[in-house]
Parts: sequence; structure tokens; C-alpha cells
Amino acid sequence: MFEWSEEQLAIRDTVRRFVEEEIKPIVDELEHGDTPPYEVIRKLYATFGLDAMARDSFKRQLERKQSGATGSARPEGGGDAALTLIPIIELCHYCPGIVTALGVSTGLAGGTIMKGGTPAQMERWGLDLLTMDKIGAWAITEPDSGSDALGGMKSTAKRDGDEYILNGNKTFITNGPYADTIVFYAKLDDGSETPLRQRQVLTFILDKGMPGLEQSKPFRKMGLHSSPTGELFLTDVRAGRDRLLGESEGTPGGSEGRESAKGNFTTERAGVAAMSLGLIEECLKLSVAYAKDRLLWERPIAEFQLIQLKLARMEVARLNVENLVFRHIEMSSKGKSLTLAEASAMKLYSAQAASDVAMEAVQLFGGNGYMSEFRVEQLARDAKVFQIYAGTDEIQVTHIARDLLGR
Amino acid sequence: MNVVVCVKQIPDPVAPGALDPGTNTLNRSGKLIMDDSDNYGVEMALQLAGGEGDEVTLVSMAPGGETSGLRTGLAMGAAKAILISDEALAGSDALGTAKVLAAAIARANPDLIVMATESTDGYTGTLPVQVAELMGLPSVTFAKAISIEGSTIKVERQTEAGFDEVVCPMPAVVTVTAGVVEPRYPSFKGIMAAKSKPVENLTVADLGLDASQVGSAGSGQEITDVSESEARGSGEIVVDEGDGAQRVVAFLEQLKVI
Ligand SMILES: Cc1cc2nc3c(=O)[nH]c(=O)nc-3n(C[C@H](O)[C@H](O)[C@H](O)COP(=O)(O)OP(=O)(O)OC[C@H]3O[C@@H](n4cnc5c(N)ncnc54)[C@H](O)[C@@H]3O)c2cc1C
Repeated sequence: MFEWSEEQLAIRDTVRRFVEEEIKPIVDELEHGDTPPYEVIRKLYATFGLDAMARDSFKRQLERKQSGATGSARPEGGGDAALTLIPIIELCHYCPGIVTALGVSTGLAGGTIMKGGTPAQMERWGLDLLTMDKIGAWAITEPDSGSDALGGMKSTAKRDGDEYILNGNKTFITNGPYADTIVFYAKLDDGSETPLRQRQVLTFILDKGMPGLEQSKPFRKMGLHSSPTGELFLTDVRAGRDRLLGESEGTPGGSEGRESAKGNFTTERAGVAAMSLGLIEECLKLSVAYAKDRLLWERPIAEFQLIQLKLARMEVARLNVENLVFRHIEMSSKGKSLTLAEASAMKLYSAQAASDVAMEAVQLFGGNGYMSEFRVEQLARDAKVFQIYAGTDEIQVTHIARDLLGR
Repeated sequence: MNVVVCVKQIPDPVAPGALDPGTNTLNRSGKLIMDDSDNYGVEMALQLAGGEGDEVTLVSMAPGGETSGLRTGLAMGAAKAILISDEALAGSDALGTAKVLAAAIARANPDLIVMATESTDGYTGTLPVQVAELMGLPSVTFAKAISIEGSTIKVERQTEAGFDEVVCPMPAVVTVTAGVVEPRYPSFKGIMAAKSKPVENLTVADLGLDASQVGSAGSGQEITDVSESEARGSGEIVVDEGDGAQRVVAFLEQLKVI
């Protein structure tokens, strides 16, 4: 694949029209007005029939689960990843925060429940998350453990009869302040002497309003204002077995909970590459227009070679990230998946490229670049987070190295 | 009920257009898109023909077997399309085009034919009534609302003062103005389904027309010259010295707009 197909272009164009007509006019409100992004996401879903498609996909996944089949629930050939990635790319021309809120709710929270949940759990929580009728959060990071989330996790789940008692704090949780459904990771405290680091990780599904569960207000952040991020505090929250993902602790001492968390790596990393592509495309477009428009010494700054170098570097980045995204789409259409090293390399490169391009766009715009009106400053602040969440740059490096050296 | 919507596929207005230096006509090679003004016709037709057994058919004449614009209408929900594409059609004037469309529309045997008031690349605005005349059908122009009552249609026809209510028997040709309905976004499913919806490809001969009646051969017009339009004047700046309102009113009165 080296270009979008006719059909993919039609999808891109119609989403682009929606973004221009429905998102662009409210970006300020979403970014600075404390307006949560969920209503406009639901509008996007209703407009393009994504809610109906989610219901169809839910039905297929449920039937598959009920039939006892394992592995990917995707239809033959792996489906068209472009259908998911094109809206991501287009939304990131204006508002990467919306994509984060959406992706965490449907992909991470919804996806985890659909993959590991029982049919009853899928029906109780999964469907509403996939359709965006409900908002989901996926909570693994804690104040004392981010990159080391699985090892350093301090949240605990203690058996109490048929129930568990959950305690702990989670932080930097996307949708945390508004979530109806929370996928919560905790270490099993079975009273044994197993050191904390090695204890089994269990995954629970919690509802807003459960006694002992507190959801904080949104944090003030550097960027990504359209995506509410907050803290969760759990004090003796009682959860029945029906809330334990899969309704089973898995094999004693097993790694199901850890695998559930890691299972999201590839999709999440491909998602960040698509986000980077949208953001880079926008910065490049704005920069080319500005370079032709801005006159200094009576000529457009586009004629200065140092400006041309910036534009050329942006184009190199755009081309590389686009190729990575195309490769991922083509591979998943063939039912193939990226290796850990490949997925991590893709995320590492794309996130860095997005940050670099956006910062250079600010530079190219001069003082105007520092002003909100010209939009590149928002994109630059938003791009920075690509290097932090879904595994920091440094963690991607360690994953690439681990995969390469472990062969 | 069968509704036909005529859809023009035009060069993307966002891309800079170019004239063919030989014929002085718009260069139509390259990808074409559905004329924005046809969005309203397609939407209106889909709203009218939303019942069980109802069907919307698109009809388009375009060079090079172009279907990109048709796919947009199919993605919005039209069931099928008829495309007339033939080298003999190059250089057609409005009447030649009307002959072709009338012949193609007749094959679909519609109860109602919906067209835009005018295209956004040609702007002749004469085609719909020519089609109606050739087909011997009544035509109602500038519809802002259409309703079906048995075998007649009731149209609110926009006028400068408001609207007239017009009732006419079907089949009929109705033109809709831009902005009267909110065109839907094609859904993802609609876009994917559009790929496999039938598009019937026809030539001039298939329609039983003679090549001499259409295209530049049958055209009653020739573009002899194209010149740049005059640059706009700078306008008049009114400095408000207390009488600003009166002077604006006087200006508008002089233009006869109030
Ligand atoms: C906007 C936003 C939204 C988020 N949403 C969610 C969410 O929905 N759910 C959730 O669970 N989490 C979420 N996170 C948390 C995110 O995943 C973590 O911030 C990330 O994993 C990094 O963890 P940390 O912040 O604790 O940094 P640390 O882990 O404390 O890292 C500090 C520094 O040390 C570096 N470092 C760490 N380990 C190594 C190593 N082995 N070698 C070299 N350098 C290393 C890091 O790269 C970093 O530079 C979100 C974060 C942000 C900013």
C-alpha cells in the first residue's frame, strides 16, 4: 500500500468535512472551556454509523466468545485497520485530545473487557463502551509506578469471602473524572509472603459511584486539554467475582492480568503513529502556507534556505510516518501483526517526529507560532505527550532492544 | 416510488481549474467530484423516497467513465446509477446534455426527477427545464420543500417575497435550491456499500441518439473567446458623521435592494 484507496479517500473526505464543520468551531471550548469531549464523539459515532458498526462487531465477538473460540475476533483477513485509523488521523489535524479520550474508552477499556471478559461481562459493560454510550477508563499507572506499572504496582485486591476488597491510588487516568466504567488493575494480596513485585495482577471492572471509589477533577496539563485526565482513589471498595475480568483469577501465580495489560501494546502504538501522522500533516500544511505568506525583506520567508530546510525535514517525517501507518494497515489486512520491536520502533519514531515537526512549526511561525491563534502551539503541546504515554520513548527503546537481543 | 436525481460530476473547485486552450471549455480530465449543489437534490430525494420499495437512481453524464462523484451519492444512500460517457459527448451544450439526460432518465421510468437549480461550474441554469420540455413533463423550479400527495407533488417554490405553493401531477421535474435540506454525511457502511452498487454504463448509441445531435457536432454554441473579468472596484467607504445610517439606506435604495 502506498496510497489510500478510492474508498478510503471517500471515508477520509467525509470525516474531514465533519471535523471542519463540527470540531473546528468548538476546539477552543474543548481545549480551554472545560467542555468534555464525549458529546462530540457521540455525534461522530452517530453521524458515520460507527455505533451501529460497533454493535455488529460486538455481536461477532460475543458469538465467538460463546462458541469458545480463542484468538482474534476479527473477520477473515483481519479487517480494515484504515477504518479506525483514518478518523484518528483526521481528528488529530485539530484535536488529538479527542482521540485519546475516545481511544482509551473504546480501545483500552472496552477492548480489554471484550478480550478477557466473560460473555456476561461483555454484555454488561463491553457493548456500551464500544458504542460510546458509556465512558471508560483504563487504570494501571500509579503515583509510584508508571513505566514500571506492573512491577511497582501497589494497589491491592484482598479476598474476602466471595468478594475482593480493593485499595489503592491511580493517577494520570484518561477519562478518570467522567468514567462510567473503570478497568482497574491491582495486585492479589493472598496473605502469602510473595514479594509485592512478583504478586499476581488481577483486573477488575468497576462502576462510577461504587462506595469507596473517588474520581478526581481533571488535572491541569501542558496540553491535550480536550482529554480529561485524573486520579482515582479506592478505599475498601468491595467487588464481587462478577467484576473480576474473566471471573477467574487464572492459574495460581499466573500472568493473565499482566498479559491483559500488555495485549494492548500493538494497537495502542499503531494508534499513536496515526495520531502523529495527522498532527504532522497539519503542521506541514500550516507551515507551507505561512512560509509563502509571510514577507520579510520584501520576499516570502519560503525563499530562505533555513526555512526550506525545516519544510523539507517535515516532509521527510510525514513520508516516513505515513509509510509506517500504511505498512501497519496492509499487514493487518493480511492478518499479520507487528513484532514488539516493530510496534515500539513505529511508536518511538512517530512520536519523536511529531514533537520535532510541531516545535519546528512553532519556530517557523516566529512570534505568531507562540500565539494560540495560529494553532501550531497547541499541536506542539499536544505532540509532547506522544513521547510519554503508551510507553515513554525510553521504554520503547528498551522494548526494541529486548526483542532484538532476545532472538 | 422511483426518484431520479441528476448529478453533475465536476472538477474539484478547491483545485485551481483550467480551460482547454483549443476549445475554451473547462478541462475535465482528472478526478471529478459530485457538484456540491447536487448534495441537496440527493438528500431531498432520499428523504422523499425513504419508504419500503422506494428507490433513488442517480443519472450523470461525464467524460472518461468517471464514477467518483456518483459514488458519493450512492454512499449517501442512492440505490443505483446510470452513467453516460462517450467521446462523442465532448463539447455538448446545455441542450445536447439535456437530450442525453432525458433519454437516460426515461429508461429509469421515474415518478419524480430532482435536479439542482444550477451547477457550480457551468451556471447555465437552463438544463432542468430543457429536460422537462424534452420529456414532456411539468417542471417546478426553486423548490424549498416538496411533499408527495398521492400522484401529485406539492412544492413550496421560493420567490423573492416568500414562497408560492405549487401542486402538479407526477411525473415531474423539480429543481431544489442549495441549503433547503441538510445533506447527510455518508456513513462508513454506506461508503463501503457504494462500491458494489450497480452503475449502468451507456453510450450515445445505447440511448438511441445520433452522434450528430450531441457533443460539439450538435452544439448550437461555440465559445469564441475567453477574457479575464474586470477587477473589482474598491467600493465606497462611508465615514459616519452622524448620518451613517441614512447614507447606507440611500446607497441601498439606489441599488434598489430596499
Ligand atoms: C495525558 C496522559 C494520559 C495518560 N493516560 C493514562 C491512562 O489512561 N491510564 C494509565 O494507566 N496511565 C495513563 N497515563 C500514564 C502514562 O502511561 C505514564 O505517564 C507513562 O507510562 C510514564 O510513567 P511515569 O509518568 O510514571 O514516568 P516514569 O515511569 O516515572 O518515568 C520517568 C522517566 O524515566 C524514564 N525511564 C523509566 N524507565 C526507564 C528505563 N528502564 N530506562 C531509562 N529510562 C527510563 C522515563 O522514560 C521517563 O523519562 C497517562 C499519562 C499522560 C501524561
